[in-house]
Amino acid sequence: MRLSSAWALLPELAVQERDVPREQAALHRLACWAGAFTSEVCLAPPQTLLLEVAGSLRLFGGGAVLFERVVAACGEQGFVPQAALAPTPLAAQWLAAAGDDQSCLALTDLPQRLGALPLSALDLSAQHLARLTGFGARALGDVLRLPRAGLAQRLGAGFAANLARALGELPDPRARFVFPAIFAERLELPARVENALALGFAGRRLVTVLCGWLAARNGGISECTFAFEHERGVRQRPPTLLTLGFTGATRNAERIGRVLIERLQRLELPAAVEVLTLRAEAPEALPGRAGSLFGERGEGATGDSVAALVERLQARLGDDRVHGLAALAEHRPESASRPVMPTLPAAKKSSAKVTTNVAAAGPRPLWLLPQPQGLTEIAGCPQRGGPLQLLAGPERIESGWWDAAEPAALGDVRRDYFVALSRRGQWLWVFRCEAGWFLHGMFA
Amino acid sequence: MSAPQALAQILERPDVWRGDALASAPLPGVPTGFAELDAELPGGGWPRGGLVELLPARTGVGELALLLPALARVSTDELAWLVCVAPPHPLYAPAWHEGGVALSRLLVAGAPGRDAAWACERALDTEGVGAVIAWLPEASTTLLRRLQLAAEASRTLLFVFRPANCAGHASPAPLRLALEGEGERLVVRLLKRRGAAQPVPLSIAIHRPVRLRHALACPASAAPAARSLSQPATA
Repeated sequence: MRLSSAWALLPELAVQERDVPREQAALHRLACWAGAFTSEVCLAPPQTLLLEVAGSLRLFGGGAVLFERVVAACGEQGFVPQAALAPTPLAAQWLAAAGDDQSCLALTDLPQRLGALPLSALDLSAQHLARLTGFGARALGDVLRLPRAGLAQRLGAGFAANLARALGELPDPRARFVFPAIFAERLELPARVENALALGFAGRRLVTVLCGWLAARNGGISECTFAFEHERGVRQRPPTLLTLGFTGATRNAERIGRVLIERLQRLELPAAVEVLTLRAEAPEALPGRAGSLFGERGEGATGDSVAALVERLQARLGDDRVHGLAALAEHRPESASRPVMPTLPAAKKSSAKVTTNVAAAGPRPLWLLPQPQGLTEIAGCPQRGGPLQLLAGPERIESGWWDAAEPAALGDVRRDYFVALSRRGQWLWVFRCEAGWFLHGMFA
Repeated sequence: MSAPQALAQILERPDVWRGDALASAPLPGVPTGFAELDAELPGGGWPRGGLVELLPARTGVGELALLLPALARVSTDELAWLVCVAPPHPLYAPAWHEGGVALSRLLVAGAPGRDAAWACERALDTEGVGAVIAWLPEASTTLLRRLQLAAEASRTLLFVFRPANCAGHASPAPLRLALEGEGERLVVRLLKRRGAAQPVPLSIAIHRPVRLRHALACPASAAPAARSLSQPATA
């Protein structure tokens, strides 16, 4: 039917031009996503995706469960699939084309299940279809009853071979989908989005695809980058980039999604967004995790959830505000304690050499002020809400000439430290140097 | 069911107690490390899954030293994480290490304002976190109530430090302690607990850096010795 006659019949008809490259991009994206279920994925353009799931049945708890999960997850990606589960790829393709979504797991059931299909589901050429109708065949079952040799002679060896492949009598090797080395998937939004949070929904879809790709490559990522391309206007803006970092390699879609949402909450978009791109490079090998037999709380099991906590806190509060602590073998108090990246069991060992047995010479306070606070001195006695009572000391801490030239370092010091008790019952760590008395820490 | 039986059943609930006795806790508490304090707390220690509100008279009276034995136990024996939210001053690693805390399982989150409570909630519903210590000087009652509910849903210890002048305000925390330094000891007043009121303040010998009798008789004089004097005289 021509478009003009279609419009004549139905004036409110909305027409959209078919965009084959976008279709193919969507199919490619789905192929990456399918990596979450199996590593054996085949593309059958223009519209078919084949997953070889025999190896995944046990992991997902059986064919029916797996099939339901695949269909549901595909729906979450925004597609309504016509899906079928069958022992041979061609049979699955035919069943799916006919809209038969009852799963068929045994090879012996195939002739009966396929026999019920109408010939139109088979994607035959018009010539073949006419000849088969001429033989009096209505459904595939009628064709299967005909002698195979005669069919091959009349319709060509290819048709007969296809029947044999569908029934599992001939092998049916397919070209595997090669998962790309670098993940870069694009998602065009159906409408322009101005609110950063609204991007989270589309972003999570891409994250699911990313996790499928990672599962197929058996790796995890510790960093990925979202690019938000803005609408084309008078002034073309460069895309807004959002890089998500993780404390350890992960392929947990939930964990990545939560960090994305936290970051989106703080993101301000300069203009409306039309296209979303997610890039990830260099997946890292993810160590397998052994499930514990008795479900005890082990280091490995809790490490992941704490890593996710660290990421969420960092995403909202800023990277430098969330840290662990390390004690260093250093006599100057300021240099003996250092904020470090939290040492998570999954993460690599931090490069900083952390000493665990630090034998401090004297008592050390639980709190150290970032900058020593000057104290007034009356009659040789430091004051803080009244004169301080010096309880222990002096402990001389001096020298440090070796980093005096470095900008952030403490440099040379010469101080006498005392433990002091204030009139208000505070236990303080004070020192005296040439410049006078200073408060440096609290014992708390 | 007869009435006395029903009453006995009700009395077995952890949130119902007789006025003259301590309530029973649903989970055994984490021993505080001070026997006289353990005896006064329902559950025999810091309660898991409940908000503990600590009101020190001022910072530095010994409020952390009171928690340190329990924190060391959680961190070293249970291999659980400690999360410090919005500490008023930077924590000094060597002292925490000396106190028995495993530094590899210590997480510090500097969270300003409202983010602090959010960070607490996130930490509370994370598996593997054993204790959360938060400084929330501006927390409202609603916020504390939310934290109390979050703590009840987890098995985590939650300590919240607030200024001493909050002692007069109502609080949803089931356990409230006011802390005051008195020389070498720490005076703990139980403002609120599940059980009979305890009007007598407890005097607890917490770990202090030095003994008071070691006090220097006279304040050290004048400026520190010149460096040349501290070096050996013979060169």
